Amino acid sequence: MTLVARDVGVVYGTRVALQPVNVALERGELVALVGPNGAGKTSLLKALAGLLPHAGTVTWSGAALDSLASRARARLIAYLPQAASLHWPMTTRDLVALGRLPHRAFGAAPSEDDRAATEWALEQTETTAFAERTVDRLSSGERARVLLARALAVRAPVLLVDEPIAALDPYHQLQVMATLRTYASDGALVVAVLHDLPLVARFCARVLLLDAGAVVDDGNPERVLNARALERHYRVEPLVTTHEGEPLILPWRRLTPR
Amino acid sequence: MTIAAPRSASDTREVRAAWRLSGALGILVIAAAGASLVIGRTSGGPTFGFGGPDLARIVLTEIRVPRTLLALLVGGTLGLCGAALQGLLRNPLAEPGLLGASSGAAFGAVLVFYFGLAGADSLMLPAGAVAGSLVALAALYGLAGRRGDFLTVVLAGIAINAFAAALTSLALNFAPSPYAALEILFWMLGSLADRSLAHVALALPLMVPGWLLVVAAARGLDALTLGEETAASLGLDPRRTQWLVIGGTALAVGGAVAVTGVVGFVGLVVPHLLRGRVGQHPSRLLLPSFLGGAVLTSVADVAIRLMPPGPELKLGVVTALLGAPFFLHLIVRARPAGGA
Repeated sequence: MTLVARDVGVVYGTRVALQPVNVALERGELVALVGPNGAGKTSLLKALAGLLPHAGTVTWSGAALDSLASRARARLIAYLPQAASLHWPMTTRDLVALGRLPHRAFGAAPSEDDRAATEWALEQTETTAFAERTVDRLSSGERARVLLARALAVRAPVLLVDEPIAALDPYHQLQVMATLRTYASDGALVVAVLHDLPLVARFCARVLLLDAGAVVDDGNPERVLNARALERHYRVEPLVTTHEGEPLILPWRRLTPR
Repeated sequence: MTIAAPRSASDTREVRAAWRLSGALGILVIAAAGASLVIGRTSGGPTFGFGGPDLARIVLTEIRVPRTLLALLVGGTLGLCGAALQGLLRNPLAEPGLLGASSGAAFGAVLVFYFGLAGADSLMLPAGAVAGSLVALAALYGLAGRRGDFLTVVLAGIAINAFAAALTSLALNFAPSPYAALEILFWMLGSLADRSLAHVALALPLMVPGWLLVVAAARGLDALTLGEETAASLGLDPRRTQWLVIGGTALAVGGAVAVTGVVGFVGLVVPHLLRGRVGQHPSRLLLPSFLGGAVLTSVADVAIRLMPPGPELKLGVVTALLGAPFFLHLIVRARPAGGA
């Protein structure tokens, strides 16, 4: 099954945030959206999630997402916004369980599936330890993991996450990347907006590089994150090498501003 | 999924806690209603019982039952709508009066009275109030627009509130006689005294659909805990939630104000006191807030009848006297949880 974007473009007023994009994303893939600030990564992600008015069409195994009922779409695509908000200090477990809303009928008690998915999401993000703590008493990194758990709890075939590791310590950055890769290899499509190029190179088999509202390259990390591309689009000179047989790409030196 | 289902203690426990809370509040509702049925008041102060077996029937059906029913219905409406609005706006300081529905209804009734279309006990007065709340809602819809965000809706509500209050003051200013001014004023203060079953029959057909609309928004309110974008991604469109709550509140509060006048702060205080007991869940707060509002309003109304001899205190005055300092206390002390 494939998520296909055909001529998907986003315009805010007169500013073009995303020029028409054509891309097909497969189940089983962990896809990174990378590019400098303002490149259109979040716009593309939101358009794929159906949360932003956009030109073109997005289809899932042939069916246009617009034609789906909102509940069916919510079960198909889970979305984690950048800097998501938490308005009431519920417990971590209650908050993660909100990810089950698309699966629960009005007024119905949570099913065994709902409970199992919630516990699974807590374990995947290593947040079970503070499942009973209210979310106002968590650090920002712990909150970020709880919010990811909420998105995972949907158990959707498509998971779209916007900067899921920005607030995390190195241990949990690695842990979340491994979780996303496992979730993808278990049969989901995972698309993540990421800035951490070394982790992108290690964990993502496919990278979409965006710049100035356009997808400028699409392929494996060795190909997309080459020295010339990083110099041109990120204005950084990278250190490109391999370690334990895997690509290691580090932004090393800033080039003169454009 | 291959994971065995572990027990999710918290979810079950808190759902059970919410039901226990509702059960306890239900018992309080019955107790308050019982007190309201047996305690009366004359100009000489409180009275107990029904003043003789021959009078009991009339006292009950003409005075006590309508007053008790209205206290429960109006209080429940204010509590429920307060909880729903706080969930919608994700702000523990929200209140049904915020939308302008209350002040719009008050102005509608005042207009009817001002033009001499009705005496203070006529059903024309409530009819005017309902029209006023509907006009306020229509204005809100026009100002905020179909896709209006929450801030726009709040600001539009404040503007409508201010405008309706100004128009009401204008009507008072030009009141045809001091007697008329006094009548308008007393009605605006909010009271449950001298209401009949006809008032109940007028308010209930507005309240029930209003309640249903608000309750239909329950899942949407839970989803809004995570912000508008995430709510939409969960298939619960924030715009739909918004109009369910606003439409339901306008209907139910319009009906309430229509028959009792403006009773403030019940919708602020009750959800705030109960929120912590239901694990901060907006949807689990709805039923307890309905029952809590009914209890608080009934108890306040009984307390009024127990006051020493003298003119009867108006319910709206009592709730405002107690509610306004509480409101200030909240502003000073409790910061909205949005900082999380």
